[in-house]
Amino acid sequence: MNRSVSTGNLLGMAIRNNVNMNNNPNNMNNPVDNGMNNMMTTLPPNDPNVINTTVKIGIRHWQNSNQADLLNFIYRNSGITLQNIILEGPLLVGFVPNRIQADRVMKCDGMNYAGNRLKVEIMNGRVPTTSNTVEFLRNVILKRYDTQSKMLNLGDLYQDQDLISKGMLASVSTRSRTFPALIKIASEEPGMIIESVNLADNQLRDITPIATLPKYFPHLKNLCLANNQISRTTVFDSWRNKFIDLKELLMLNNSVIKYHGYKNDMLKIFPKLIMLDNVMVRDQAKVNAIYNFPVKLQQFFFENNQLSSSAGEFVTNFLNCWDNDRTQLLPLYTPDSQFSMAVDGSIPSVSVTNSDQTPSFGYYIPYSRNMTKISNDRTRQIRLAKGSNEIANVFQNFPKTKHYLQSDPIDYKMEAISFPQINGFMVTLHGYFEEVEKPQSSGSGNSNTINNNNNNNSNDIVRTQQRSRRYASSYNNTSVSSGSTRLSKKCFDRTWTLVPMNNTIVIASEMLTVRAFTSNSWAPVDEQQQQQQKQKQQQQQMNPPSLMPPILTPPPSQSLGVPITPGGLQLPPNVNLNQQQIDLINKLHGVTKLNYQYTCMLAEQSSWNFDQAVKNFQMSVNNLPREAFIQ
Amino acid sequence: MNTNTNQQGAITETFIKKILAHLDNTDVNKLQEFLNLFAQPPIAKIIYNSTPFPDATQFLTLWQQQVVATQHTLTSVDYHIIPGSGTLICNINCKVRFDESGKDKNGQDAVIRQGTQNNNNSNANRRHIWGPYFGVSLQLVLADTIYSNQFQGVIQTFNYTVVYKPQDSLMEM
Repeated sequence: MNRSVSTGNLLGMAIRNNVNMNNNPNNMNNPVDNGMNNMMTTLPPNDPNVINTTVKIGIRHWQNSNQADLLNFIYRNSGITLQNIILEGPLLVGFVPNRIQADRVMKCDGMNYAGNRLKVEIMNGRVPTTSNTVEFLRNVILKRYDTQSKMLNLGDLYQDQDLISKGMLASVSTRSRTFPALIKIASEEPGMIIESVNLADNQLRDITPIATLPKYFPHLKNLCLANNQISRTTVFDSWRNKFIDLKELLMLNNSVIKYHGYKNDMLKIFPKLIMLDNVMVRDQAKVNAIYNFPVKLQQFFFENNQLSSSAGEFVTNFLNCWDNDRTQLLPLYTPDSQFSMAVDGSIPSVSVTNSDQTPSFGYYIPYSRNMTKISNDRTRQIRLAKGSNEIANVFQNFPKTKHYLQSDPIDYKMEAISFPQINGFMVTLHGYFEEVEKPQSSGSGNSNTINNNNNNNSNDIVRTQQRSRRYASSYNNTSVSSGSTRLSKKCFDRTWTLVPMNNTIVIASEMLTVRAFTSNSWAPVDEQQQQQQKQKQQQQQMNPPSLMPPILTPPPSQSLGVPITPGGLQLPPNVNLNQQQIDLINKLHGVTKLNYQYTCMLAEQSSWNFDQAVKNFQMSVNNLPREAFIQ
Repeated sequence: MNTNTNQQGAITETFIKKILAHLDNTDVNKLQEFLNLFAQPPIAKIIYNSTPFPDATQFLTLWQQQVVATQHTLTSVDYHIIPGSGTLICNINCKVRFDESGKDKNGQDAVIRQGTQNNNNSNANRRHIWGPYFGVSLQLVLADTIYSNQFQGVIQTFNYTVVYKPQDSLMEM
C-alpha cells in the first residue's frame, strides 16, 4: 500500500474536474424510461396483471410544493388517491385502478397549484425499473471519475444538469437518497479504484447524506468536504475510526473550522490523518510506527532446508491420509504417542472476513481437552489419547474432512522448528478443512470412548460425555443437536512433534485445535485480491495437482513412514557430470522433486551451490511448469 | 517431577497466563523478569509470525519499543509432556487486541503540536482504546522444571502466529 500522502491540491483538482461535467445532451435520458424509482418511493406492484389493469398518470409542474400536499390537492379535486407513487425527476407518477378514475384525475390538468399550472397526463409508457436508475447514476459516476488521480468527483452536484433534469436533488427527501445511491453504486463499479472523493460545494450541513461513505470506502485516502455548511465537529462522530487510511481532509470554508477544538476533534475522529486543510497535523513516520506491525506476517518458516522438505512431505501425506483413510496413519504412532484435540469456541469478530458466527463443534466438544474449559483432572487425562489404539478410536469420532492444501495453498501456513531435545522437529500447520461427512461412529456424545478397551475407564468416559453435552450446551448457547453438529468449514492449528526413526518418522505428540472458520491473516484480503485467489483456486482445481511452495507432492503411491531423504534421481545414460555434481543433483532433487533436466538447470544457474539453488527454487517454484517435476 | 498430574494442568495454564501477561505489560522495568523466562540461544527458538529472532532480548526489545500496548485473552490450552525430554509442548490459542489510541507504549503519539515539544509522554492516567480482536496461535516448548517451581530459562520455543485479523482494525500486519 502506498503510504505516501498526497499533498496535491485536492480541492483545486476537484474544481477543475468539475468543468464541462454537466450539460451533456447525450445524457438527457427519457424521464419516463429512466428515473429514480424505488430509491424515492415504492415500486408499483410487480404483478404484471395489476400493472396491466391500472392506469399510469404523470404530473408535472408541482415542485414548488411537496409530494404530500400535491396528493392531497389531487384527492380534494378528484376524489381519487394516487397509488404507488414514483418520482422520475420532475415527474410524479402515480397509478389508479381504472380508466374512469384516471379521467377524474385528469380534471386537475391545468389547475393552478403552488404558483404553477399542473400538467397531468395519462401515460402508457413502460414502467420504470430500478436498473434504469442505477444505469443513470452509474453514468453520472463514470463521468465524474478520474482514473489518473483515482478520484471520484462528487463536487457541486447541484449544478449537475443530469441530476437536475431528474430532480434528484430537488428536495431533502430525494437528496437523502441520491447521495447514498451514488456512493453505493460507485463502490460496486468494477475496476474503479477510488482513493479520493470530492464532496465540495454540496450545501452539506452534516454528513447524514454521505454517512455511508466509510462503509463503502473504508480505505479512502483523501476526502474533500470544502465549501459546505458544516458547523459542528460532532456531526462526524459516526465516522470515528471508520476511515482507517484517511490521510488528507479538506474542510475549508465550513464554519466548523473556526471552532477552537476543531483540530483535536478531527484528529480523534480520523486516527491516521496527516494533512488537515493543507496543514500537516501528524508525523507520517510516527503514524506508521504506531499502526504498522514491525514484523510482517510470513506464510512459512522452516528452520533449515532439510526441515522444509521433510515437513512438507509429511504434512502433505498426512492430510491426504487423514482425509481419505485415517487408519493408514496409525503406523506413525507408537505406544507412547500422544494425541489430543481442543476446541477453541471463541467467536471471531464480525469484521473478520468470512468468519463463521455460529460455528458448530458438536462432534468435537465431547473430546475437547481445552483446559480453559475442562477443569476436571480426570477428564483431562481421559481425553489424552495414548498409543495407536486409543488414537484410532478418537480419530473415528471426528467428521470426515477435506483439506485444500494442494488446490488452495495460500490458505495454509506452516512452521517447522527443530526439537533437539528429542532429536526431532516440530511442525505446526494452520489452515482450514471442510467437513464432508459425519463421523464413522454415531456422532457426538455417543458411547464411543477414547479407550473403549479399558472397562475401568468407560463409565468415567460416558459420564464425561454426558457432562460434555451440558458443556456444549453452554458453550454454543445451543444444545448438541443437529444444529451444533452441522457440517461446515473449520479452521485448525495442528502441531506434530516428529521423531525420525529407522528412516521413517514417528509422531511423538500431536495436538489439534479446531476453531471457527475465518479467512486467514496471512493471505491478501481485499476484494480484488480475493477474486484473484478464487480465480487461481479454480484454475488449480482444473489442473490438479499444483504446487505449494515449499510443500512438495510425493507420488501418490508413496506411503507414510516415508524415508526422510528420498532416493536418488534416475540419471540419463552418458551423463557428463562429475561425482560431486551428481551428488549435488541427487541432493537437490531430494529437496525439490524436480526432474533431471530441471534439476540440472537449477544447479547450473545456481553455480552448483546447493543453498543458492534451494533459495532460487523457492523463489521460482510457483512459476515452474508441472512437467518440471517427477510425475 | 515434584508435582502430581493433578497440579500439572493448573501450573501449565497459570504459567501460560503469566507469559501472556508479560506480553501485555507496558512497564519496561518488568522486561527483565520476562527475559529471564527464556532459555539462552541456541536452545531458545523465538518465531513471531514466521520471523525468527536470534534471541529473546531482540524480540522483547522490539515488542516493547515498536508494538503498541496489547491485551491477550486465553481461549484454548492443551499440552503434552514429552517423556524423557524434560520438556512439555503447549498448543495455545488466544485472541489479542491492540491499543488504537494512537499512542505507543510510552504514551507518545504522532500529533504535530505547534510551538511545543512533541512530548506527550503522559503514561499516567493513560487510557487505552482497544481495537477489535485478532486470533493467535501460540506453540511453546517449556522445560518441565516449571513443575518444580523453577522458571529461569524455561521457554525453549516460542512460536507466535496471528491466524486471523479483523478488517476494521487500524493495525496493519
